[in-house]
Amino acid sequence: MKPMDSQLSTLNSEPKEYRRIAVCGGIYNNYLALEAALEDIRRREVEAVFCLGDMGAFGPHPDRIFPLLDEGKVLAIQGNYDQSLAIGLDNCHCGYTDPRDNYFAQLSYEYTFRKTSHENKAWLGKLPTHRRVKLGQYRVLMCHGSPRRINEFLWESTSPNCLLEKFCRDFETDILLCTHTGIKWHRALNGCGHIINVGTIGRPENDGQVHVWYTLLTAGDDLQVEFIPVHYDHKTLAQEMEQEDLPLEFIETIRTGWWTTCLEILPAKERARGKY
Amino acid sequence: MTIPTAPLLELSTLWIQVTGTWCNLTCTHCLNSSGPHNPWLKSLDTDMVIRSIKEGAELGIKEIYYTGGEPFLHKDILLLTAHALEVAPTTILTNGTLITDQVADHLAELAQNSPYSLEIRISIDDVDPEKNDRIRGQGAFSKAIRALQVLHSRGLLPIVTATEILRDELPEGSGMYEQFRDLILSLGITKPRMKIMPVFSIGRMEGEGGPLLTPEMLDGFDYSLLQCSETRVVAEGGVYACPILAGLPQARLSEKSLKEAFKPCDLYHTACVTCYETGMTCKN
Repeated sequence: MKPMDSQLSTLNSEPKEYRRIAVCGGIYNNYLALEAALEDIRRREVEAVFCLGDMGAFGPHPDRIFPLLDEGKVLAIQGNYDQSLAIGLDNCHCGYTDPRDNYFAQLSYEYTFRKTSHENKAWLGKLPTHRRVKLGQYRVLMCHGSPRRINEFLWESTSPNCLLEKFCRDFETDILLCTHTGIKWHRALNGCGHIINVGTIGRPENDGQVHVWYTLLTAGDDLQVEFIPVHYDHKTLAQEMEQEDLPLEFIETIRTGWWTTCLEILPAKERARGKY
Repeated sequence: MTIPTAPLLELSTLWIQVTGTWCNLTCTHCLNSSGPHNPWLKSLDTDMVIRSIKEGAELGIKEIYYTGGEPFLHKDILLLTAHALEVAPTTILTNGTLITDQVADHLAELAQNSPYSLEIRISIDDVDPEKNDRIRGQGAFSKAIRALQVLHSRGLLPIVTATEILRDELPEGSGMYEQFRDLILSLGITKPRMKIMPVFSIGRMEGEGGPLLTPEMLDGFDYSLLQCSETRVVAEGGVYACPILAGLPQARLSEKSLKEAFKPCDLYHTACVTCYETGMTCKN
């Protein structure tokens, strides 16, 4: 397929102002969830759709998400996975420190690397690492992990207010949007900003529910933040993962909503909520 | 020879050596030679620790670590943990031998009442009690195991921390990671967590010297791979570059504030070679 040049031309323009946007993160090859999310978003009268990166990992058939991003006019930034694929690194640079986490991350990276077309890798390589827009009166900064590092994990229980306030100050923003961890959260800082981890639509968030999430942001007198659940044909996705010989552990997560891998990176509070 | 330095890229991790080198154990591989008698580095006053946390918060730190020595020897460790958890996620590195039911109850309550994670790291060096105790002292294994169980039963998820001190004694074909994972699972802990660290040629393992880093070795090197590029340690006498070197004069960057320690540190020790080669971090 041809690269999506129509999107690339918008990357360096001045911050545009919106009233209502949809933002998703971490697609992880889950084209069925992306399709369902975009269909849901179309009914919600948003002015633009953004994706905070990590198109690949975990799921089957990586190339299937790219036409959907194009058709949905999704404005994307680069995640660590996209960066690794684009420049041909030998692993995803997700930032795991545990051997078991790295073992499973490597399996999905090698699969995704093998199955992503050259053209799509090149397109990922052209995406920006950050984006700035206006949402009503708010300045918005979008990043993948954190504004200072593409693969930094901002979990709810390990992101102290003092750090988030520093981010808002140093990076001159009122709203900071990120993903990378796979679990959504929102914190309004004391009068000086909002941090929103928009979650991922690639895999469920370790709560025993099979649906995934994206985020709707609406500017009014106050900022309205809505996390929207997306139900999709997860059974078909699981079957396709089986056909592609992806690890049974990954398939179990899609079927049950419980994480079975990449667990060791979870902080105590987030780990305690899961099954494993 | 010119000593290379590492820049402080950001202050993300604040370590506080709350009990200096005061410990109830005398492990044979201890990297700062901690022990029960005449610790060469003293404990910090409660007020000093609280001031450091406050300064860390003003500087926008991401996390706090308490270490020593043995942090649970500090008379105010629970109060200090409460203070830390008001500001940032907090980890305590401990040998586990002083974690009673009452202490575990208190820790569970603190964890419950904070929005931030509390991590308790328990040191064990081998899954075999005899081998472990040869390194860590008689009875250390059973007390550490009990600590894992009392913390687990209260919903805290301790992280087992092991060094590779006994790696050479592993049976052939046996993985250290898998052995520890099996041990933890056998205790009925269904969410096994662990961290394995190399042994450093420092403290009781200090050798006859060894290779040092040179400026040429660091040419084009990504300094963010060294923990001293994002870490500072408050210990008796001031602020130091990293937890391994805390207390050593050449690693001291400031006598007072964290802010004054925002400067490059000397990579002067053989231990710096271990970090350079392994990319290891003392963080979780």
